[in-house]
Amino acid sequence: MTESLEERQRRVKRHLRHGPPDAEDQTRITLYLQAVKGLNASVLAKLEWQPVDWLPYRFLHGQYYREMELSTLLGRATQWSSQPMIYMEAATLSMDLWSRTEAARYLPGFFEVDERFYGYLALSHAFMSVIRFLPMLPPSMDLDSDPFLSALKAIEDENGRQIQTQIRMLKDLDAGLSRQERERIVEEQRERVEGSFAELLGLLGQPAGATIERGDA
Amino acid sequence: MPVFEHEGQSLYYELHGREGDPVVTIINGLSMRTSHWAPYFEQLPARGCRVLTYDMVGQGASSKPVLGADFDDHATMLAALHTHLGIDRPYVLGISFGGVVALKYAIRYPERTGGLIPVSTFSELDAQLEGHAVNLYQGLARVGFEFYLDLLMPLNFSNDYIEANRELLHVIKRVGASTNELYGIQNLMESLADFRSITPELERITAPTLILNAEFDCLTPRHLHDIMRRHIAPSRLVLVPRVCHAFTLEIPTLTSRLLAEFVQQVEAGQWQGDQSVWIAAEDPNAEPLLTYCDQDHLRAIPMPRSGSSDTKRQAGTRKQSAPDASKKKAAGAKKRSTADTPSKR
Repeated sequence: MTESLEERQRRVKRHLRHGPPDAEDQTRITLYLQAVKGLNASVLAKLEWQPVDWLPYRFLHGQYYREMELSTLLGRATQWSSQPMIYMEAATLSMDLWSRTEAARYLPGFFEVDERFYGYLALSHAFMSVIRFLPMLPPSMDLDSDPFLSALKAIEDENGRQIQTQIRMLKDLDAGLSRQERERIVEEQRERVEGSFAELLGLLGQPAGATIERGDA
Repeated sequence: MPVFEHEGQSLYYELHGREGDPVVTIINGLSMRTSHWAPYFEQLPARGCRVLTYDMVGQGASSKPVLGADFDDHATMLAALHTHLGIDRPYVLGISFGGVVALKYAIRYPERTGGLIPVSTFSELDAQLEGHAVNLYQGLARVGFEFYLDLLMPLNFSNDYIEANRELLHVIKRVGASTNELYGIQNLMESLADFRSITPELERITAPTLILNAEFDCLTPRHLHDIMRRHIAPSRLVLVPRVCHAFTLEIPTLTSRLLAEFVQQVEAGQWQGDQSVWIAAEDPNAEPLLTYCDQDHLRAIPMPRSGSSDTKRQAGTRKQSAPDASKKKAAGAKKRSTADTPSKR
């Protein structure tokens, strides 16, 4: 029976009591976060073609560059694994992320303030609020002295600031949707991101390639 | 993990103590969660009270609706939780943000409120509190959750406590940032955005009411508690010495005794809600626990009340007047303590 996200979070939390993530887990986490940020940046890059006076553009423009900055910072701070299977797993996870979130539907054409745009905002809110590693680290663990943990903290702190745009627009944007429809979209996107994040957590602490050999990745 | 499902939202709760004992329901402050009340899970049952704590939606282990919840929903959900648990007339304690929820609950459900305990809270915003609220909100939204907690620390805790618990407070901050979601707390704060004074509605509160205000509460200061005292007929205001806004975390033993003795007096039909003001002892084992406050309780500088015998007295030499004044206060306190102190049952 597949573990729930909460069970996986508890398992990873127990695992991290023994110390910070090793090179294999650092690589998995970084490649996953880079896939998430790469996906988000792909959509945000498209927004650069929107008219400059389109109100959401002004808010989302900054996020595009912050996503790239944090993604590269994490890459620099990571202790990379030398095991090829870790990278194969990451590629599989990245494909799963794109298909599970149906992110491709946000790429074509210009955005209008409609259900599709609202769906994208809900997806990016879920990325920033669901995917968190700090709650799984022991509170006594020193984050500042470890470059990788410090970068993770920087990402989660920045997510807290960036998510303000999504919060405001999800609440206030008039996309012609009822409260019930908006709640449904938000919930669906959260479930998609939770499912994807659970896949990553299922790998942490496992031997490299274990899931590929089992065929359940 | 005990969870109550209500209209698509999950409320995490904990219930401690003996079935049949009067229930004290505790409503968290903004960035709190049930585990902050851990000392009360033992101390209140030891004093004959059952204790129910829960996380409001947006907090701790409860649901965190992305689009937020209306402020009034918190009181409705608490009433539903009481119904679910078969609790008829709880003593409802709310601290800070939770205190406003408690006031709303008592106004809306008078027949379902055995007693009310507003702690470090308010029924209206004054300019200073509004300023603090804006700063905290901006700190949370623009800088981050840990900074928001940094802003709160010196408002919440006394110097002595901060000095003695620096390491612990660091861990508390990390745990707080990890177990809460920024957007959940932000939604709670935003649910207060349209807050209008509920002071005129306080007169509808009929439940015995114990208002607790810390001596050095600079976030929700004395006069905000005094507004509640003046508008809630069956109330008393108790001043808790040498502590700050979040004193329930700092002095659980004294607070537990204050709560339990209030409940015992109400249960015994001995509660005198006369809108008087009392000062709690620093020692949680002191007898009596409360001393009648004969001074102007709205001043931080100890001043005699206008029109009292102290004002009429001409200032004599420092040597003469100070001991006289203290003797008079002690005598007055003793007289009230033996006559109607809440610690006498």
